[in-house]
Amino acid sequence: MTRLVRSITEMEGRFEEKWVLVSDDEPEAWASDRPLAIVGHETPRTTGPTRVSGAARYTTDVSLPGMLHVAALRSPLAHGRVTGLNREAALAVPGVRAVLDSTDTLSFRSRSGPLYAEPEHAGALLAVVAADTLVAARAGVKALALTIDPLPFVIDVDEAFRDQRIDGEIAEESRGDVDAALAGADVRVELTVETPTQLQTALEPHGAVGWWTEGELTCWVSTQGIFDARSELAKRFSVAPERVRVVADFIGGGFGAKQGAGVEALLAVELSRRTGRPVRFINDRHGEQLDAGSRPATRQTVRLGATGQGDLVAIDSEVLTSFGMTGWRAVNTPAMTLYRCANARGVEANLKLHLRQGNAFRAPMVLEGVTAVEQAMDELAITLGIDPLDLRRRNFVDVDQPSGLPYTSNQLLACYDRVAELSGWVGRDALLEPSEDGLLRGMGCATQIWWGGGGPPSHATIRIGGDGIATVVTGIQDIGTGTLTAAQMVAAEELGLPLDRVRVTGGDTRPNVYGPVAGGSQTSPSVLPAVRGAAAEVKRTLLQLAGDVFEAAPADLDLVNGRFRSSDGALDEPYTEVTGKLGNATVDGSGMRGANPDGMRANTFGCQVAQVAVDPGTGEVRVEHVWAVHDIGRVINPLGARSQVEGGILQGMAFALSEEVAFDPTTGVPTNAWLDDYKIPSIADVPAMTIAFVDVPDTALNNVGAKGLGEPPIIPTPAAIANAFRHATGRRALALPLTRARVVETLA
Amino acid sequence: MVNGTARVADGVLESDSLLTMLRERLDLPGSKGACEQGECGSCSVYLDGVLVCSCLVLAAQADGHGVLTVEGLADGDRLDPVQQAFIDAGAVQCGFCTPGLVLAAHDLLGRHRDPSDLEIREALAGNLCRCTGYEKVLDAVRLALARRSR
Ligand code: FES
Ligand code: FES
Repeated sequence: MTRLVRSITEMEGRFEEKWVLVSDDEPEAWASDRPLAIVGHETPRTTGPTRVSGAARYTTDVSLPGMLHVAALRSPLAHGRVTGLNREAALAVPGVRAVLDSTDTLSFRSRSGPLYAEPEHAGALLAVVAADTLVAARAGVKALALTIDPLPFVIDVDEAFRDQRIDGEIAEESRGDVDAALAGADVRVELTVETPTQLQTALEPHGAVGWWTEGELTCWVSTQGIFDARSELAKRFSVAPERVRVVADFIGGGFGAKQGAGVEALLAVELSRRTGRPVRFINDRHGEQLDAGSRPATRQTVRLGATGQGDLVAIDSEVLTSFGMTGWRAVNTPAMTLYRCANARGVEANLKLHLRQGNAFRAPMVLEGVTAVEQAMDELAITLGIDPLDLRRRNFVDVDQPSGLPYTSNQLLACYDRVAELSGWVGRDALLEPSEDGLLRGMGCATQIWWGGGGPPSHATIRIGGDGIATVVTGIQDIGTGTLTAAQMVAAEELGLPLDRVRVTGGDTRPNVYGPVAGGSQTSPSVLPAVRGAAAEVKRTLLQLAGDVFEAAPADLDLVNGRFRSSDGALDEPYTEVTGKLGNATVDGSGMRGANPDGMRANTFGCQVAQVAVDPGTGEVRVEHVWAVHDIGRVINPLGARSQVEGGILQGMAFALSEEVAFDPTTGVPTNAWLDDYKIPSIADVPAMTIAFVDVPDTALNNVGAKGLGEPPIIPTPAAIANAFRHATGRRALALPLTRARVVETLA
Repeated sequence: MVNGTARVADGVLESDSLLTMLRERLDLPGSKGACEQGECGSCSVYLDGVLVCSCLVLAAQADGHGVLTVEGLADGDRLDPVQQAFIDAGAVQCGFCTPGLVLAAHDLLGRHRDPSDLEIREALAGNLCRCTGYEKVLDAVRLALARRSR
């Protein structure tokens, strides 16, 4: 039986009540102590051979007969007015087929842009040129001979705040009486820190290939959400969704920046519609770094009040975010949720600046908030003379305070214990002894909180035929996280088939099996329960059929590792004895993710410890070791999970040490929007990493017990590093990243 | 010669890089172009046995020379041991950097009998990966080395 119920859904902390489809046939959650044959065991990714052999086709690799290539003209100024574009000259370049700028009436609707006459950030799109070759398209852009008048711009936080350039309302949330609690606290600390603008820098830039044929639209998009891309294209171009097909077989990373169709797909489709040719629009690296989004910079002031024993009595947080012209607000989430505190207040404002609009970057806003709150907690521990981990244990909270709701699971205390044990935390002061190499060493910790419970809608179907191969169809796109492998594992586990008898597909809207956007750490906890539901249905049918074939009672049979077995052991036959009789017939099953439990909040937790070595002469900071322990419910594939954590740690480390967009204050233009000067870490920078999970299934959340893992590992790393720096040097840098110049200045 | 076969590319422009020729004219898009400025290594190929960034080499410079790309590394269906080690060690996430990293690791193993961790890091430092955190890439190289010495 399938029913519609009202239920709360969550995406990156935004809650919504919706009608949700639920099935009474959904399997019970796997019991925590039930041994599983495949799930929980290291499994190399299913698409490995395709990826290592160069056979994987990413959007940027799609090549179609007659395809046109697009080059973009971008604003060289933070704010300006276009005064001249020589379209005729561009169109006269041999091979150029079409030019679009802000004066064209496009066939899709857009609130602003996507081509601007008055750009409000450097790198904003002014015009695009489509041509037979990329070389011709670039020549066309040159021939446009842009002239542009500069207009006044603001990118400075202080200037913007003074002029009250605030986007919408200032957000304020609070509970209790923060001012009174602060005034009455035994101990108070106040800390103001800044966090940098960080660029997602997926190795495959944003891009799309659009092909408009007779009202049918096919679009390859490097996107984290094929279904979002499909509805966006359908709506914007007024085509029925079933006439739009979005394909993303392989995606070269996303990290939050690749939402929906994106401007590249919209313009590629528009150009295809005009020229009758397929059109490929891939950002070049400079365009990507200028105009694909960012984690916006913040300035945060955190005040904490506590009793002399270390019980928090007040948390007060003020945030200014350099979001561009508009954005959302969530930096105060950690201040409001991370620790037990009756009096808490978060005030948050987005400044209107002439910067590229910030967008989602792995744990958007929460990483920034944790980076400030966890440094303030460290200061509080130092002021109180309490072990920083003990201070955190002491203020542990097992409910979501803003809503008052309990968590579906929370193993944070176990994370603290484990990370302390692994890192040798209690002996960390030994690092402060002078060392022979003259480096200053120290250790710091930080806590992680994030949502990551997933939810409906999410669907999967499984079909098995005469060849005995079970094909799982999902609507998810694997941006590199390995969710398709996890889906293969869950299906094989539930079916009772060996892994190599199960194939998984995704990355294509055509089968119309809905999957959610790969974001918010929601894919695994959303999709895997649906896959398991589909597998359970197929297995039920197979057991029925086995009963017919072997003349046994289906209830007496099981399918284990590809063999039908009776409970008394008398029957033990390969499953192909049954599927082999199907001929052209198939056994099908479908599954859906049920509703989240009522009256609960689903969150992931964790704690990381970092050890740094600081060279006081040069200002160089090296991260020597990071220990990470996270609670993500059941770990489906430890191999993939550890790799996720390692990647998150490295991005977090780079946020703390090297990544920062620099702007020319006289022009407002980023000065390091390339890969040679925007420093993402290489293999030479990798610290030692020790990774563990408190592998306790969240049986209240969904039928596989898994929570998400995309965002959690990046969240605590920067604060842990900043706190380790403080431990090592006795100083706190008031801004990240800890570049050499900043370190030397801080130590002076 | 590309991957052991004589190839003639049509429509190559004077300014085309070797990378562009491989990807756009010879239907060999395994080599990737994440920066086209010699910074990321995703375009790595062998040119006469020497590892180069194909985005920095003009197509014309490869005329009459031997090019080996990631597509030519496997022996039919049998993956090169380095490729297999990348799979088994879990060194691949999105995979966009992988063709370049696999070739760089292959090159290192060809040049070195028993590279130290430092030498591995040095050899692969020109290949950027945004997903994996590189730890499993190191594991993959060590795995390939261990298998070879067996
Ligand atoms: S594309 Fe050649 S080094 Fe980046
Ligand atoms: S696996 Fe994605 S860039 Fe390396």
